[in-house]
Amino acid sequence: MKNTRPALNAAIAACAFLVLAVELFPIFITIAAGFRRDIEILGAGPFSLKFTTRSWFLVLFKSTEFLGYVGNSVMVALFSTALSLAAGSLAAYGISRFRFHGRDALAYSFLVFRMLPQISLVVAMYMMFQAIGARDTIWGLTLAHSSFNVPYVIWMVLPFFAQIDRSYEEAAVVDGCSRFQTFRRVFLPLAASGLVVAAVFAFIMSWNEFLYALILTSTRAKTAPLHVAGFIAADGLKWGQLYAAGTVLLVPVFVFTVTMQKFLVHGITAGGVKG
Amino acid sequence: MSYSSRRTSRKPRGFSLEGGSPGTVLRFLLPALIFVFAVLLFPAGYSLYASFFNWPLNDASAREFIALGNYARLFTDPEFWNSLKLQAGFIVIALPIELALGFAAALLLNREFPGAGVVRTLLLLPVFMLPVLSGFTWRYMLQPDYGPINWIVAALGGKQVLWLNDPTLAYVAVIIQDVWRMWPFMFMLLYAGLTTIPEELFEAAFMDGASWGQRLRRITLPMLRPTVITALLLRLIDALRIFSEVYTMTEGGPGSSTLLFSLYTHRQAFSFFRVGLASAMAIFLLVLSVAVAMLIVRKNMRLEEMSKGADA
Repeated sequence: MKNTRPALNAAIAACAFLVLAVELFPIFITIAAGFRRDIEILGAGPFSLKFTTRSWFLVLFKSTEFLGYVGNSVMVALFSTALSLAAGSLAAYGISRFRFHGRDALAYSFLVFRMLPQISLVVAMYMMFQAIGARDTIWGLTLAHSSFNVPYVIWMVLPFFAQIDRSYEEAAVVDGCSRFQTFRRVFLPLAASGLVVAAVFAFIMSWNEFLYALILTSTRAKTAPLHVAGFIAADGLKWGQLYAAGTVLLVPVFVFTVTMQKFLVHGITAGGVKG
Repeated sequence: MSYSSRRTSRKPRGFSLEGGSPGTVLRFLLPALIFVFAVLLFPAGYSLYASFFNWPLNDASAREFIALGNYARLFTDPEFWNSLKLQAGFIVIALPIELALGFAAALLLNREFPGAGVVRTLLLLPVFMLPVLSGFTWRYMLQPDYGPINWIVAALGGKQVLWLNDPTLAYVAVIIQDVWRMWPFMFMLLYAGLTTIPEELFEAAFMDGASWGQRLRRITLPMLRPTVITALLLRLIDALRIFSEVYTMTEGGPGSSTLLFSLYTHRQAFSFFRVGLASAMAIFLLVLSVAVAMLIVRKNMRLEEMSKGADA
């Protein structure tokens, strides 16, 4: 029912922005704290919003430690996204374009796999990784992240794949392309938009992930969220740096939320929002 | 099935794109199947295996087969029941509040006004932010000496509240954090559901003189029911395995007052080194999650529907 009364509409708009302001207030206040000196965080109260210093950010960006952990996060997220995209798009193509016995059951089990709790797998993974020397390595954590990203990518790209007209592939097959050539040369370029969306979601899932990093890494492959959590536990007094680090980690999430707006509902119905 | 309905007339007689030798099909599926086996099925099987042993993490020689001993031990472990109770309470309290807030917001925002798109999008920022960050954001909010919440409490004349040091308040804080973070998730799904209800239904009811309340009860709620069930089940699967936010906020404490299921499993494995017992808990949660996941799949994840929902 469209509303035709302007006064009511204005009231609702005001109400909506108030809700938004309250909802985002905790994030805002935490970011703001990254721009304040410790003495102000401790003394001036949370609502005196004077942005007096950039020093925490400067310290962070000069700290090879922090940058190293961000680098680990980026590497694991990129590798896991690439692997999941490769394996996931192949499997989704198989599910979407072939008819075979058990096809539906297979597709649904990928969805169920996506929803397995990490805590149920991580204890066993810890022992497995310990045995094969994969603990505290970038490739080990990449593998672990692929456990949620491979099934996720499959369900993210399926609807995009289904929308692509089959006549191009049929023409390619008739012209003598193998199925794999058809997939690579004809189909993938057509599916590019879906692949990009799936890649961005997979990247963010990996970027946000914490539990696997906590158990499966310690120093060499430690990721940025783990480092931030360590700040809280060990250096209770480095508040400013902590908030600044948190702000840096939030930037990709912010960009993601704004740019992927159209696909967010699809993204969460393909198996939840937690990595 | 819309998956197979896109045929074209140009193809030669008897030719089918869907036909493929088992070898061809397998080649497409194999990489994903290898991943799933290596990092999902094998660890799950390994957990099941380990759950039948007394298995100290740091002493392989003390390992012994005890059959269902770990499961029996869980049943008599008060801490296990405590974590189940906390987990159930968390779900039973947080989810309905999230649903109510999300539904109210969806009704409010289901209209156009300047900036509506901005509000709808930015509300989702907490949903997608790093769990670790939302945990520590609330640690800051609730910090006793200079946290914003206590600042407000003090301004209103209240005494200093030690939120995360008090067992009951810490549990409440964990729930507040989750409600804050996840009600927009409910909003997003319910809003998407609302926009699919045909406008004509409301117009017809309006013509017939139905009041706002009647339209809500007779049209909106029944039409939204499937969406509500999906949203609750999706939240349930996430709520069952919640870990990082709580770990950052309280690490399960003080004592074990916020020791939800995942946190207790983690503590058994990596603080008490009881891998067998932790594996039994892991399997317990796995079975529960698979049951919920299968409900979700059966209820509303039709392959055909997924094929048209890319930008719904």
